[in-house]
Amino acid sequence: NPAVNHPVGFGHILKAKERNNAKIIVIDPRFTKSAAKADYFAQIRPGTDIPFVYGMLHIIFKNGWEDKKYIEDRVYGMDEIRAEAAKWTPQVVADVTGVSAETLMEITTVYAKNSPGTLLWAMGLTQHTIGTGNTRIAPILQMALGYMGKAGGGTNILRGHDNVQGATDMGCLSDTLPGYYGLVEGSWKYYARMWGVEYDYIKSQFKDASWMGKPGFTLARWWAGVLAGKPGEDAIENAGTNLKALVVMGCGITSTSQNLKIQQGLDNLELLVIADPFVNEAAILTNRKDNLFILPSATQFESSGTVSATNRSAQWRYKVVEPLYESKADQDIMFELAKRLGFYEEYTRSMMMRLKSDGHLEMTPDKKTFQWPEDATIEISRTLRTIGMMGWTPERIKKHTDNWHMFDEITGAGKGDMKGEYYGLPWPCWSVKHGGTPNLYNVDVPVSEGGMGFRNNFGLEKDGVSLLSGKGSAPIGSKVDGGYPEITKENIEKLIGRTLSAAEKDLCGANWKTCTSGKLVDLALEAGLTPYGNAKARAVVWNFPDRIPLHREPLYSPRPDLVEKYPTYADKANHFRVTTKYATIQKEKDYTKEFPIVMTTGRLVTMMGAGLENRASKYICALTPEMFCDIHPELAQKNGIKNGHMMWVHSPAGTKIKVKAKYSYTVLPGMVFLPFHFGGFMQGVDMTGNFPAGTKPYASGECANTVVSYGYDIITQIPASKAGLCRVEKA
Amino acid sequence: MRKYIYTLIALLGFATVAFGAADSQIWGEMRIQNILGYGQEESLKLGAWFTFLQSKYFAWVFLGVLIGVPTVFFLHYKIVGQKVFPHSHNKHYAFNLFHRTIHQVAAVSFMVIIPTGFIIVFGDFFGGGTLVRMAKNLHGIFTIPFAIVILPMALMWIKEAIFNLEDIKWFMILGGYLSKKKRIINATQFNAGQKMWYWVCILGGLVMILSGAMMFFMDFKIEMLHNLTGLSHIDMLRASAIIHNVMGFILVAVFFTHIYMAAVAIKGAIHSIITGYVEEEEVKFLHNAWYKKLKEKGKF
Amino acid sequence: MENARMKFYCDESRCIECDGCSIACAEAHELPAGIARRKVITIHEGIPGKEVSTSIACMHCTDAPCEQVCPVDCFYIREDGVVLHDKEKCIGCGYCLYACPFGAPQFPREGIFGSKGAMDKCTMCAGGPLATNSHHEFELYGQNRIAEGKVPVCAAMCSTKALLVGDAESVSNVIRARVAARGGKGFNSYGWDKAYKNQ
Ligand SMILES: Nc1nc2c(c(=O)[nH]1)N[C@H]1C(S)=C(S)[C@@H](COP(=O)(O)OP(=O)(O)OC[C@H]3O[C@@H](n4cnc5c(=O)[nH]c(N)nc54)[C@H](O)[C@@H]3O)O[C@H]1N2
Ligand SMILES: Nc1nc2c(c(=O)[nH]1)N[C@H]1C(S)=C(S)[C@@H](COP(=O)(O)OP(=O)(O)OC[C@H]3O[C@@H](n4cnc5c(=O)[nH]c(N)nc54)[C@H](O)[C@@H]3O)O[C@H]1N2
Ligand code: HEM
Ligand code: HEM
Ligand code: SF4
Ligand code: SF4
Ligand code: SF4
Ligand code: SF4
Ligand code: SF4
Ligand SMILES: [Mo]
Repeated sequence: NPAVNHPVGFGHILKAKERNNAKIIVIDPRFTKSAAKADYFAQIRPGTDIPFVYGMLHIIFKNGWEDKKYIEDRVYGMDEIRAEAAKWTPQVVADVTGVSAETLMEITTVYAKNSPGTLLWAMGLTQHTIGTGNTRIAPILQMALGYMGKAGGGTNILRGHDNVQGATDMGCLSDTLPGYYGLVEGSWKYYARMWGVEYDYIKSQFKDASWMGKPGFTLARWWAGVLAGKPGEDAIENAGTNLKALVVMGCGITSTSQNLKIQQGLDNLELLVIADPFVNEAAILTNRKDNLFILPSATQFESSGTVSATNRSAQWRYKVVEPLYESKADQDIMFELAKRLGFYEEYTRSMMMRLKSDGHLEMTPDKKTFQWPEDATIEISRTLRTIGMMGWTPERIKKHTDNWHMFDEITGAGKGDMKGEYYGLPWPCWSVKHGGTPNLYNVDVPVSEGGMGFRNNFGLEKDGVSLLSGKGSAPIGSKVDGGYPEITKENIEKLIGRTLSAAEKDLCGANWKTCTSGKLVDLALEAGLTPYGNAKARAVVWNFPDRIPLHREPLYSPRPDLVEKYPTYADKANHFRVTTKYATIQKEKDYTKEFPIVMTTGRLVTMMGAGLENRASKYICALTPEMFCDIHPELAQKNGIKNGHMMWVHSPAGTKIKVKAKYSYTVLPGMVFLPFHFGGFMQGVDMTGNFPAGTKPYASGECANTVVSYGYDIITQIPASKAGLCRVEKA
Repeated sequence: MRKYIYTLIALLGFATVAFGAADSQIWGEMRIQNILGYGQEESLKLGAWFTFLQSKYFAWVFLGVLIGVPTVFFLHYKIVGQKVFPHSHNKHYAFNLFHRTIHQVAAVSFMVIIPTGFIIVFGDFFGGGTLVRMAKNLHGIFTIPFAIVILPMALMWIKEAIFNLEDIKWFMILGGYLSKKKRIINATQFNAGQKMWYWVCILGGLVMILSGAMMFFMDFKIEMLHNLTGLSHIDMLRASAIIHNVMGFILVAVFFTHIYMAAVAIKGAIHSIITGYVEEEEVKFLHNAWYKKLKEKGKF
Repeated sequence: MENARMKFYCDESRCIECDGCSIACAEAHELPAGIARRKVITIHEGIPGKEVSTSIACMHCTDAPCEQVCPVDCFYIREDGVVLHDKEKCIGCGYCLYACPFGAPQFPREGIFGSKGAMDKCTMCAGGPLATNSHHEFELYGQNRIAEGKVPVCAAMCSTKALLVGDAESVSNVIRARVAARGGKGFNSYGWDKAYKNQ
């Protein structure tokens, strides 16, 4: 719903419609503000996008609208998709998704016949038990039509906060190191080298070396780590101990599902530390009386550094004012913490170091202190090679930000002084001379100008089929016409077709990802090769529970009749250290008897995330002063609920919230929508008395996540907050 | 009494809170109806009417009333002159303290409301700002005492104010006011003219209070009223403004007459509002029917 | 001077009811709570094919009706068509609101009687009659961005550039280009005809 969640970005969509006569198609369970501007709208049942896309593929394959050459050269495993798509006739799709066969046909036709089409999505696809499947089926559709790697095509996953992309790249995840380096010994050793510490030093921080390779808890289920062992709670695998302390830094506590569990988790910690510019509701919802510390964080205006946008481009954010009052910038809070815990020196050492031309680090002579954030940015650019951040020096990024008017509004291409570079140096930006990659996987331009094939990341062949891409599908100007593996010291000479001198060879690391001199990448670029190789994209992921995306009904499905045909996964033990239930919940009973209403959650244009910042603005609160529920008048009247009166929403987990009913035609009569930006109330109880004097927001209310029930994605563990069930009742 | 004051304060307080908030009847959700309703084919086009009348006519009509009515009476005074009845005869105690107080409160209110009303109407002449704002505030404030006494006043005089057949005759000769001659007029305690004033000041007064209150509170929600009138909120305000002005012309004109009659036309009649006594001679000539009744009861 | 006449245009094909304009206005001018000089409205919400959003403030009308009815005559119309008023003269009678087709004038409650204070409305970010960019002017009328050579903040902040403001000619040019790109369709801004009488 970009009209609401990316209003400025939505301007581009409107312009496409205006100037190119682009057709806008919206697939959403609600008639959203984006839908209001669309040419086609399909009101889909939450959680049924996979059937919908298979329905499209069914029609596409049936009519031969797919891009056969593209599939042949650049895609692995499309046949399995084709076979699955054959099952999803428009009639079956209509039954499962609620979208009529005619609408499906109409949308598929217009989408397939107008090349290229671009696919935008965000949380509507991800927040499901099958979220990963959803985010796979979308690019598969793009590949079937040959829309991937084309200007104006591709997939545009509209990321959330201004720097979510950057945060992900930096590895704010429990299963990777920064830059998506895996949790394997090689990566750890690489990082030890780049941080200027011994590998053994890092190892000594862990219980034992085996834990270095195990993903940690996720944000979604940290509380399970606290509550494990109590009756009814899921088991954990955490070296025999529960979580005891929690530091909440820049996350609204109510923004993950099962808020009642969160409250219990907070209550059962031994220590709770919050670092936030506002009084985070973590401090309010808990009943704990001590060992609760609130540290005032500075805001983005009081600190500086890079932020990455959704298109992988960087901007420099300049500090506007020094941190006010006793607040401290986040990194300073971390530095203080590191000092108290005794690893400040190791933590900051590499910012005191420099890279020699041979790719080794040395202490920078005469350097007394590091400069924040420039030295950190340099550390990132020399370390995060996997995604090509080598060109992201502070100087270049600042220059782009200062000269943003020198770039084309549509293509991002620089003019004048900035010629040859794309705004914000969208990664991969292979070297300090590279101008960035505006469109991923585009083979119509040379690598030096942002071209690239698909990444070779999963071997060279699978089951006897080559995973490298076909002839003629390499970026323009490539020495190798067709597929090739990722660049290593081993294969470089063969690929570029010349022998290296001994001196050159010396500079090469084992492979391009760890070759810190940059020699391998330079050689690859010279020969027009993508450092990570040129492979096929996988439609089949053999190491996932679902080899290809499969429809599986939500745990709380409004269609018990479909559950048997499209059952969910088996329970998954040790899913980010927590046993996570799937089939057990889905099979427990037919929930629709007691909870006949479909419930989905999402965002309002006036608020952000858990909403603390916005609820501190009196002007915004004048527009959205209280928590509400969008409910169709028909459904409301059937339950005796008047517009503007209070109502209860009950969840299958036994929780409930009291909210104001707002009549709305944007939802169907069998469904309600809840925004999740409010907090401060818990199941009808006003907890806002816990705010220290003068810090209470202008608006407080029940949080939707109190009634978002169990359910997590099978791969990422993102809460399934988009497809739930509930019962509504007059309050 | 205290209860009422509190209620009033609470009411004003509510208005303050509701103002401009999401549930505002003007700027909230309802703003859509208010705007879309403007000038639509089937609507009364009150916005355009109000603009037209207010910009072209209201002030001129008020000026006409302000100058015209006194001029007519000045001429009457010059040509017909004052009627003088001896005040040495018997008096009848017609208005008790209660009557008088009520009447006096109304009188004082009007003495404020009307001049301030004019100041607002000719606000540009007075240069706007503090003076006119004060006038506006006084205009509103003095509505309160008037609103308090209007019902008692209506009740205490309603018996006398019912029209009867005699009143037609009275109207034929306009109560004899156009001739210098003292004729015996067969009226009850109130003659037709007075009855007319009664009705204008009571009904008109109520209309003025209600239309004024609508404009004062401006942003309020009375669903019944919306359903009854079928108007958008702002159209109700427009209607109030038009009615307040038009009714204002009538009220002012008739009020001026009332003052003239009481203070000038019949010399000394004004004492009755102060002391409560009416003169036998006056009653005999002008309210003969009443006179006869009083005589029977032996009041003179 | 016809060209220099300032106008608002809210392109309904673009407005997405994001409320950026109204919040920006309130923040920039530090308006008292409850006063919304600009208001975004949506009709037929949730009805496919019929839902329309638009942003409305004072339109600075040709022959401004508000100006015609003001009993204290406190309005003045600048050469560029911006309709302003003198808050120190205004008595808060509400007549301008009754005359206005757009419900633009608003009133804070003042004093113990809670009577209507001086009217407030969109100034097109052009301040008021007091000394330009003085503190006093800011207190009463908010920023005077026009005097600083800046665009009114609502239009500057508009996420989709639905909201246009400027002299009649430049606004018309932008609209014409957009309408042409849309194949001649999509000239729609509620109130445009009403406010400017097709001029
Ligand atoms: N104003 C505002 N903007 C924001 C944010 C905010 O909080 N407020 N948050 C930012 C963040 S962190 C993020 S991640 C993005 C999220 O941006 P979006 O993903 O656009 O936001 P949501 O409102 O969560 O969900 C989008 C839509 O998904 C629909 N939906 C629900 N279930 C399904 C389904 O099964 N299939 C399909 N096709 N659609 C479904 C919902 O009805 C909703 O309209 O927004 C960012 N922008
Ligand atoms: N039901 C339901 N739940 C959802 C979603 C949904 O669609 N439905 N969406 C999910 C998604 S996609 C997301 S991203 C989350 C978003 O939810 P959150 O991550 O909770 O997002 P915010 O409310 O933006 O949280 C930011 C917090 O950081 C603080 N903050 C701001 N700046 C700084 C800073 O510089 N330093 C520090 N230390 N703190 C700062 C703010 O005060 C605020 O408390 O919500 C998720 N929850
Ligand atoms: C300066 C102000 C006023 C003066 C001097 C005045 C004087 C008088 C006098 C002398 C009478 C005649 C009593 C009699 O002989 O029967 C009278 C009657 C009356 N007055 Fe007034 N009055 C004033 C204001 C008002 C107001 C403001 C109202 C009502 C809103 C009012 C309503 C009446 C009524 C209803 C009567 C009875 C009918 C009548 O006599 O016309 N008067 N007044
Ligand atoms: C019984 C007589 C009257 C009553 C009870 C009355 C009452 C009121 C009230 C309560 C208001 C609202 C005040 C506010 O909004 O603050 C008002 C407004 C107004 N009245 Fe009257 N009024 C009366 C007679 C008149 C007369 C005779 C005139 C003209 C000469 C007049 C002119 C106005 C005007 C111009 C306004 C609008 C301006 C404003 O709201 O302040 N009124 N009136
Ligand atoms: S609020 Fe969101 S959409 Fe609006 S400008 Fe900021 S980042 Fe962009
Ligand atoms: S929109 Fe209303 S307030 Fe603005 S100029 Fe027009 S009539 Fe006056
Ligand atoms: S409220 Fe003020 S500006 Fe409006 S008409 Fe009355 S005096 Fe004039
Ligand atoms: S022009 Fe200025 S005053 Fe008018 S609505 Fe826009 S921001 Fe507010
Ligand atoms: S900022 Fe622009 S798009 Fe958003 S509501 Fe205002 S006019 Fe509409
Ligand atoms: Mo997000």
